[in-house]
Amino acid sequence: MKLKLTLSAAAIALATGTAVHAADSDDPIVIPIHNWSSQIVMSHVVGQIFESMGNNVEFVTTDSQAVYESVRLGDVALELEVWEGAFGASFRAALEKGGLHDAGDHDAVTREDWWYPMWTKDACPGLPDWEALNDCAAVFATPETGDKGRYLDGPVDWLKHGAERAEALGLNFTVINAGSAAALWAEIGAAEADKKPVLVFNWTPNFAEAVWPGEFVNFPKWEDGCDKDPAKGPNPDALYDCGNPATGYLKKAAWDGMGDKWPTAYKVLQAISFTNPQIAEMAKFVDVDEMEPEEAAEAWLEANEAVWKPWVEAAM
Amino acid sequence: MSDRETVISCRNAWKLFGDNPKKFFASMSGSESFDDIRRAGYIAGVRDVSVDVGRGEMLVIMGLSGSGKSTLVRCFSRLHDITTGTITVEGDDIGAMSERELIALRRSKMGMVFQSFGLLPHRTVLDNIAFPLEMRGQDRHDRRKRAMEVIELVGLSGREDYFPRELSGGQQQRVGIARSLAIEPDIWFLDEPFSALDPLIRREMQDEFLRLQQMLSKTIVFITHDFDEALRLADRIAIMKDGAIEQCDTPDQIVLNPATPYVRKFTEDIEKSRVVHAGVLSRPLNGAAPEGEPVQASATIQQLARQLVNDAREDLPVADADGALVGVLNRQQALDVLLGDA
Amino acid sequence: MADVTADIEDTKNGLSSTRVAQILLVAAVLLAAARPVLPEFMIRVPEAWIPPFAQWLDYFFNVIVIEKLKIAVLTRWFAEGPLEFMLNTMANLLEGKRRWPFLGPVPWTAVAAVAAVVGYYLGGWRMAALAGGTFIWTALIGQWKIAMQTMSVLSVAAPLAFFTGLLLGITAWKWELVNRIIKPVLSVLQTLPFFTYLLPAVIFFKVGPTAGAVATIVYAIPPMILMTTLGLKKVSPEVVEAGKMAGCTRWQMLTRVYLPAARTEILVGVNQVIMLCLAMVVLTAFIGMPGLGAKLLAMMGSFKLGRSFEIGVTIVLLAVMLDRLSKAWVVKLPEHHEKGTPWWKEHVVLLTAIGAFVVFLALAQFVQVFDHIGRKQDFSRGKEIDTAIKGFLAIDTVQAFTGWWRWFLNVWILIPFRNGLLWIPTPAFILGIVAFSCWLGGKRPAIYAALFFSLVALSGWWDRSVITLYAVISAVILSMFIGLPLGILASRNERWSRRILLACDTAQTFPSFIYLIPAIMLFGVNDVAVIFSIVIFTTVPLTRYTIEGLRTVPPEMTEAADMSGATKRQKLLTVQLPLALPTMAVGFNQAIMFAFFMVIIAAFIGTQDLGQELQRTLAGTDLGKNFVLGICVSLMALSFDLTILSWAERRKRALGLA
Repeated sequence: MKLKLTLSAAAIALATGTAVHAADSDDPIVIPIHNWSSQIVMSHVVGQIFESMGNNVEFVTTDSQAVYESVRLGDVALELEVWEGAFGASFRAALEKGGLHDAGDHDAVTREDWWYPMWTKDACPGLPDWEALNDCAAVFATPETGDKGRYLDGPVDWLKHGAERAEALGLNFTVINAGSAAALWAEIGAAEADKKPVLVFNWTPNFAEAVWPGEFVNFPKWEDGCDKDPAKGPNPDALYDCGNPATGYLKKAAWDGMGDKWPTAYKVLQAISFTNPQIAEMAKFVDVDEMEPEEAAEAWLEANEAVWKPWVEAAM
Repeated sequence: MSDRETVISCRNAWKLFGDNPKKFFASMSGSESFDDIRRAGYIAGVRDVSVDVGRGEMLVIMGLSGSGKSTLVRCFSRLHDITTGTITVEGDDIGAMSERELIALRRSKMGMVFQSFGLLPHRTVLDNIAFPLEMRGQDRHDRRKRAMEVIELVGLSGREDYFPRELSGGQQQRVGIARSLAIEPDIWFLDEPFSALDPLIRREMQDEFLRLQQMLSKTIVFITHDFDEALRLADRIAIMKDGAIEQCDTPDQIVLNPATPYVRKFTEDIEKSRVVHAGVLSRPLNGAAPEGEPVQASATIQQLARQLVNDAREDLPVADADGALVGVLNRQQALDVLLGDA
Repeated sequence: MADVTADIEDTKNGLSSTRVAQILLVAAVLLAAARPVLPEFMIRVPEAWIPPFAQWLDYFFNVIVIEKLKIAVLTRWFAEGPLEFMLNTMANLLEGKRRWPFLGPVPWTAVAAVAAVVGYYLGGWRMAALAGGTFIWTALIGQWKIAMQTMSVLSVAAPLAFFTGLLLGITAWKWELVNRIIKPVLSVLQTLPFFTYLLPAVIFFKVGPTAGAVATIVYAIPPMILMTTLGLKKVSPEVVEAGKMAGCTRWQMLTRVYLPAARTEILVGVNQVIMLCLAMVVLTAFIGMPGLGAKLLAMMGSFKLGRSFEIGVTIVLLAVMLDRLSKAWVVKLPEHHEKGTPWWKEHVVLLTAIGAFVVFLALAQFVQVFDHIGRKQDFSRGKEIDTAIKGFLAIDTVQAFTGWWRWFLNVWILIPFRNGLLWIPTPAFILGIVAFSCWLGGKRPAIYAALFFSLVALSGWWDRSVITLYAVISAVILSMFIGLPLGILASRNERWSRRILLACDTAQTFPSFIYLIPAIMLFGVNDVAVIFSIVIFTTVPLTRYTIEGLRTVPPEMTEAADMSGATKRQKLLTVQLPLALPTMAVGFNQAIMFAFFMVIIAAFIGTQDLGQELQRTLAGTDLGKNFVLGICVSLMALSFDLTILSWAERRKRALGLA
């Protein structure tokens, strides 16, 4: 096993002989991974790019909110998926404390909102328009919600304000908070068998699109300040009476010290930008094709040399 | 007694158990009974005990359970600290010894055998026996050599690699005995060593023990609750009750002249002729010795029974082991002892 | 009789506990009945009265501990220095992380072979099969690397927890003062939700394996301390005296006499350390511990039931293997070799292990499958299991069954019960709890319950605490309906007892959060799913202790009942159950403790209780709030713990079983 390691190390050194001049530190670049596939595969993709440049890379599993504290302290070097909706707050908090900075946006946009799997449309044909919801509230009813419809929102700490929106838009729905992403999937999975209509919180890009085709509900378009100024949005007396922004950012974050320690890798990081289809493809390798993340990353790199080679060449 | 050098000397020793025994002792008038003390919330383990043990002597401490005999022997080795009084071992006050001195004393002079053997379950027979040697830092080779000697002495050869739980009770106690002898102690404490064994084994172990004692001539303090065992083994017996010694004397004297009603109760059922020796029963010569064949001073009356019944003489001469006449035995008096009329 | 003696004791200083309990209960009921006319501050403690515990704690941690005392510098040094070094070394050996000594990873065949030999040495062929089989399964199913990540942390955390626990246990045994300080701390630690261990670990010991290892160690220490103290106290006085008479110094007494003589208890402690470490090391995935737990979370996050299930099986196998091996080690006593046994025969096990290791190490250099199993070679059946699980859940009868229960429990029992509890004014609620505690456990536990619940009320998290308690109580009551009959039935026959106990072991070691997904799929995101997932967990101790209680009833008593002409039913009701009750109470107590544990995890389904808030704090740096929440759980759990154990203790004494 030792032999093999040395060999592959030598191969990398040969292949990237030119990289030696770059003054990147030999210390491993620590890349955090979380518990959803696209992020894990993307981290491995970027990690393998760094490795091909002669850097040492290491992966640590971290909590997706706590990670910004770790980036700030330099425990990990970067974060590849900063979702505006989910992690914007943690990111901004860490940004204010100092120690990490914005390393640019991906091409991909993110969206998170009320969502339903396609089969739901059969029971409630007026969708995706939000005004159709009240008419078919009854099809979403469950024993404990009585005759009101049931909407399964994300965990409370994601601060999605589902209840406020239902109230503001006069929706005849009870909003229940799931405890975790897994709870959301379980709910959809349970409904899948006999095509029961469900309405849950969801976001894109993620693996669910590949497993369960579905759509977001079209709420009144987001206006800036909809969460602060009652006047914005259709209901003049309420906050949260708009849908979420349909094009949230997906950022990269880097530790302030990264640029000095691994200048070349840092340049590559700045250049990196994935699109929605690319991210979906990464997730699909793992979630649908049952690959391990490392293999998925290899497969993706092989299939997409045209995408990532220029980033590396520009940095060298 | 007077002809022996004193090894352990215990003077007015008290051992009280309770919250603050020293303070309580200071407040006592001295006339309190065991029950008075108990009512005050203290237990008198040892109550004003004074006793000496001579070199090579076997003192048996006899008493029922709770009489304080085990406590007393633990005071001798300072496993318990006494509340007041003094205990000296070979002239040194053990109460005044530092921990280091005490350890040195135990490592070189004392051995102890326990009722439930007190063997270390994780060590083999050999390692158990060599344990005290190991503690005093003897090297492995010496340890092994000495341990094998004692193993042979107690008749456990071939079992040295066994673990205690693989042995019978009697064998385990042999290990206990061997361990206590490993450092060649001068003073040997045995705390009811045979009580946990069944009667047949007990008898065998007593014989074995007497054989060892004949070879080794240690100074021994032996605890038992079995009066027969005490009579069989002892040079002197101390009978304890409620922490105090009721009587301390030779077996003959205890049987012939019990000092208290409590002691008498023990002696009542004893066949005295088996205990009393001709030498003890004889009176001084006073010049003229009776005629005829002498009887041995060391013989018990029972051993002389046939002769006592058949002999016509009123008085019989008593001779010691060397054949010298030492006294006169009144036949009628001896017959009284034999028939239980004494 | 028990009640008589207890009452006599109590009447000496005034009223009997039962009478006090009745008075308290009446007061509670009156207060509750008066709710409509009660002033607001009697219904809930007003915000303004609530002391800012969280801020105080935050100040304590941030200003005093971190800034003034610079403790974090020390802990971080430890985390990044020695601890990380140990973790890295093991990680290199087992899973091939690129760190010193750059030797690993050891081929899976070599590990499995050595495990089998150790298993054989400790427990014969069955253990050999279990130990070897576990590793073979792990490799074949394609989880070798992640399993080794977990094992490498375990192999650092367990020994550290062992030594720390041993050391603290010895100190507590040696000095009564230390013992008195340590005891209540241990009680709190043992009831503290595991989330509360995680956050401070991250802050003081850096996110990732180091923090996970520290949290794991802290979690596993308490039983080791308790077992060490217990073992040392139990050493026979004669053995101690024998040691003293052999002239041992104090150090020699400890190392040559006390510790070896307490071997059995210490090894039982080792067993518990290993089990707790494994349980916790999986849970530390929440703070970035790689390995089986992290993989499991990722699999659950992408709704892969089959793969989650397979990981669960691996964890159970590892747990059962470690448990059985360490238990076999407890009962394994040294045996002597006959004289003249050749050297190699005395060490045959060691030599075989080394031999097997070397052989497979060599083989692995040439044959790849002996070194590692590639992704394409594994036997994972994730997809098939997925389909099977989903298929089962889609069966109409299953759906109808769960649908009915969901409706019945939610609408008629759980929601009214919860609303009822929430409706009760705080003082009445506390009085009610105290009355219960007084009636069952006596005055002392009642005083503690009063104190503890008042603190909970003052913490500012009353409603969430009540909801937590509601889930616990509902789950324990429901599991009684399952566990008690199951235990009683199983106890009638040796074979069934054994089977059910084995099932209990397995259910308990199955990582708790795997239950969450089926629970949701069966019942949806609501209280029924929450309670269901707790019930799976709490039924285990109830069943186990019922079986044990009934089976340890002295035979002469059941024989006496038989000879008195009792029917089976009479015998059960009048002889066996009363005598088994104290033991069953221990099971009942454990069920409550498990429920408090699981209810926190059930936050992943979706609850409005303390667990949900705790889970939220994990993402941030709110140490103060995290602690307040954790302590709330701990205080409630302790109140029950004290009450029930006090009852069991008194009852046992009264029955002469203690």
